[in-house]
Amino acid sequence: MARSVSPAKFWIKHEIKAGRRRAAPLIGLGLLGTLLAIGQIFCAAHLLAAALHPAAAPIALPAIGFAFAALARAGLIVAQEREASRLGIAARRRLRSTTLGNLMALGPSGLRGRHSADIASIIIDRIEALDGLHGRWIPAASVALFGPALIIIAAGLADIRSGLILLLTGLLVPVSMAITGIGTGLAARRQFTAMTRLQTRFLDRIRGIATIVLAGRADAEAATLGQAAADLRRRTMRILRVAFLNATALDLLAAAALIGIAIRFATPLLAGHLALAPTALFCILLVPEFFAPIRAFSAVYQDRMTAQTAAEDLVALPQPAPTAPPPPIIRTVPAQGVAIAFEDVSFTWDEARGPVLHNLSFRLPANETMMLVGPSGSGKSTILELLLGFAHPQSGRITLNGAPLDSLVPAALARITAIIGQKPFLFAGTIEDNIRLGRPEASDAELRDAIRLARVADFTDTLPRGLATRIGDGGYGLSGGQAQRIAIARAFLKDAKLLLLDEPTAQLDPATERDVLDSLKRLAIGRTVILASHAAFAHEFTGRKLDLGTTRTPHLEGVA
Amino acid sequence: MPTRSVRLTEALTPLFRIVALWRAQRPILLAGILTALAALAAGIALMAAAGDLIGSATLGIALAVPSVLAIIGLARVTLRYLERLITHDGTFRALAALRVWFFRSLAFGAGGGLGYRSAGDILARLVNDIEALDGIFLRILIPALSALALIPVLIIAIGRESPAAAALALALFVIVAFTLPIRAMARSRQSAAAEAEAGGALRTATLDTLAGLREIKVFGAEGRMLAHVQSQESRLFTAERTLARHTGTLQALAFLAAQAALLTILLIHGTQPVAIVIAAFVVIAAFETAGILPRAGIIAGRAAAAAARVLEAAETPPRVPDPVAPATLPAATSLTFDAVSFRWTPDAPPVFDHLSLQIPAGSRIAVLGPSGAGKSTLAALALKLAAPDSGEIRLGGTNIATLRAQEIHTRITWLAQATHLFADTIANNLRLARPDADDQTIWAALDAAQIGDTIRTLPDQLDTWVGEFGSQFSGGQGRRLALARTLLSPAPILILDEPCAGLDLETEQAFMRTINETLANRTLLLITHRLTGIEKLDRVYRLQNGKLTAATR
Repeated sequence: MARSVSPAKFWIKHEIKAGRRRAAPLIGLGLLGTLLAIGQIFCAAHLLAAALHPAAAPIALPAIGFAFAALARAGLIVAQEREASRLGIAARRRLRSTTLGNLMALGPSGLRGRHSADIASIIIDRIEALDGLHGRWIPAASVALFGPALIIIAAGLADIRSGLILLLTGLLVPVSMAITGIGTGLAARRQFTAMTRLQTRFLDRIRGIATIVLAGRADAEAATLGQAAADLRRRTMRILRVAFLNATALDLLAAAALIGIAIRFATPLLAGHLALAPTALFCILLVPEFFAPIRAFSAVYQDRMTAQTAAEDLVALPQPAPTAPPPPIIRTVPAQGVAIAFEDVSFTWDEARGPVLHNLSFRLPANETMMLVGPSGSGKSTILELLLGFAHPQSGRITLNGAPLDSLVPAALARITAIIGQKPFLFAGTIEDNIRLGRPEASDAELRDAIRLARVADFTDTLPRGLATRIGDGGYGLSGGQAQRIAIARAFLKDAKLLLLDEPTAQLDPATERDVLDSLKRLAIGRTVILASHAAFAHEFTGRKLDLGTTRTPHLEGVA
Repeated sequence: MPTRSVRLTEALTPLFRIVALWRAQRPILLAGILTALAALAAGIALMAAAGDLIGSATLGIALAVPSVLAIIGLARVTLRYLERLITHDGTFRALAALRVWFFRSLAFGAGGGLGYRSAGDILARLVNDIEALDGIFLRILIPALSALALIPVLIIAIGRESPAAAALALALFVIVAFTLPIRAMARSRQSAAAEAEAGGALRTATLDTLAGLREIKVFGAEGRMLAHVQSQESRLFTAERTLARHTGTLQALAFLAAQAALLTILLIHGTQPVAIVIAAFVVIAAFETAGILPRAGIIAGRAAAAAARVLEAAETPPRVPDPVAPATLPAATSLTFDAVSFRWTPDAPPVFDHLSLQIPAGSRIAVLGPSGAGKSTLAALALKLAAPDSGEIRLGGTNIATLRAQEIHTRITWLAQATHLFADTIANNLRLARPDADDQTIWAALDAAQIGDTIRTLPDQLDTWVGEFGSQFSGGQGRRLALARTLLSPAPILILDEPCAGLDLETEQAFMRTINETLANRTLLLITHRLTGIEKLDRVYRLQNGKLTAATR
């Protein structure tokens, strides 16, 4: 069977390796706890021995030692909890900013065909699920290895035979895990996936509950959900029956170690070697401490599997090209006006569907308007994406004022461009914040001008808090026309010389469309405009028209 | 303190009510509890026997106990195994029952309305709440009952030697098993609220950023949006860190209490040294069991808050209850709005003000109006998702207030703006509207919705998987799939609410042409913000200021 390491496995291996280094302080704290536990048990053994033989030894010293070790361990618990939380938080912060940063660098064309709610849930929930890997699983895995080793050494120093008994049971732990784990490991992982799927299915059905109710299928769907859950339970229990043997094996090994050590000391003690009593008690009390980190590790096994699912989703996200070649010549474009030329540009999104643009050529002088018309899929949006630098032509070249587009730094291109789409992007914040998106540093006078020109004041004046009204999540709900006005004000404020309009009124009713159109025409004055729209709307503008048609051989009509 | 105990009962009530829901699962849950207690007893007996053996041996007394020890040990191991099996089986049964109960309660209660008000994220949050209830039985109930059962054991084991030491150890035990967990519960309830709020803000910020990526890049706002997302994330982490600090402190306190109890026992100078060793071993085992309770308190705090929300949502009655004695569904399918007035909430502006509309069977009517004018509310009223404040809606001449909502839904099908596509195959998504539809009928519906040709190019055809939120398909394609589902429905009245949102003009026109041809005798109520100009309609109305006026195209 040919086995190749899946990207998710590779990713998680890398995370674990890096995570182990970061978790070193936490692992250190865990091992320090083991050392303190050994000391505490040493004291406890002496106290117990003293209780059995009251005259044998002074108890003040071990009592103080016991109390001191207990206090120190309590302090360690606080520190460990804090450090584990810190590790989990740091990991999530790092992963989230890298992932989001990558998606931002990739730009909107990288997200084509993926729902943003879908990606948001990966960035939020899946990365949230990686908390356990870094905060718990990685440190627990190391402590489960080194903690018991320390205890074997301590027991061995006190009594070599007890040390050997612990070593033997310790070596049997992985053996028993392997025996019970064969067959269950893979099955358990598959089962975990099935369980995640059922959760997803439940969420999906709840989200679509109105659709189910209106189709009169609520009873049927409830029965199916119950059936699926029952099936999953039966299959899960079949696996758990074997998997729980794992825990049982640990129980058995612990009992065996306990009994083994008890028997090892029983004979000499009975023979009257009473001085051995503290040693015997010490070794016996070490047994629970020996198994504690191993149990703690199996308790967080779930975290590892959750991480696996999360990793699969994360590596499936679109990744930016490994190294985007830097623009060969770095220059900016003067902002007096922008002339555009397409020279034999061809572009294909998807090989299977053929080219969207085929040897397209046109020129648009500065401060003129061009309408792109044609059915959906004819390449209107593609031309805009190319001009925005989110996609690059496979052949041919695009120039701005004679300079090839890819010789521009992205920031310079962004500075000269403004776009208004079907539905403007509005984020949760005030209306003013949203208008200032393009130029946060604009003066109040400039802001006032933009608001006047876009006729935003028409509706903000009626709001009690005016421009400071919060919109979005839990805030004021804007109508489609009001939202477009904000987008227009944004473009006025930015004062970019290249204006891209992508079906800006498609979502509006005819009356609102007229109002918005007037503002757009005002905005178009003194700018180079490319407008993608349906035919009727395009008639409202004067300028050139590029009919992308269905033939993929576009022709220009000079209307101006 | 009475107020504190009142608050505690208040917090625990939702949890008890969830447990009470598991009526059918009661025998297995009870069996789980009994096995858990038996396993606990065996564990304590094992520790006591081990203490006895060791204590006696160090005194030079040979006891014939190793075989007894082995038997108890074996019993303990077996009982633990059975406990794990039975409690897990019971948990899975209980959780499945809980999910089905929630789905049913929501479906027959507020669900239709909630879904209609496009509250997808509220519903998603509720699903998270249901998941937060997963630990109630295994991680809260069983440890708490085990701790209760240990109280008499401690009294007997220590009290024999020293009543004073027993009293002290018991006090410490109660602190670990009950006082600290209750504190933890209160803390985590506070923090859960803060975390939920911060988590919601983080989700909104992330969604904003992804949805607006194009404009964010054009306006050079990448850094600012990333910083915005990170500041929301930091709020979440701050809440988490506070809780982690408290958790750490509580666990350290629980540990210290256990060690103090052990030290107390070790310092007893009793007459029977062996009994002291036994007591010490029993104390170790007892506090080990109680030691997980502070963390259970944290889980309980979250679960209690979640349970309260789940119960509230599940028990919200439908906005429009069904009549006690429903009238029989008339055969006629004319739809009439007669002087209907409506507002969503008493303080909201009226959506309709004495609105009247006649939709004869088989007619084609369009209602135009800007977004927010209340066009979709027409559909909600007709489907009985909401009831008019005054006036009457009649289906086939019968006031729909006297009909059962479920029966009305067999007559009226609705393509809503937020119609959900399920993570399932295309065929199953469509069969929701007509479970007995054969493949040929499904293809016909897909063709009518102008997506049949696209599906034919896919390797899996009708078995193609529609991803979550329909993410395998573009917005326009998803819209057409939803449309195909609506067309497949056998209901005689179709309400299409912005059927062409997300479609370009050509597709829209092609679609309208198909509608013109395929509707046959079905009634059409088309709700849209503009017409393409090729619709074949009997009447067109404009909705303005809560009233309809006849409109010219």
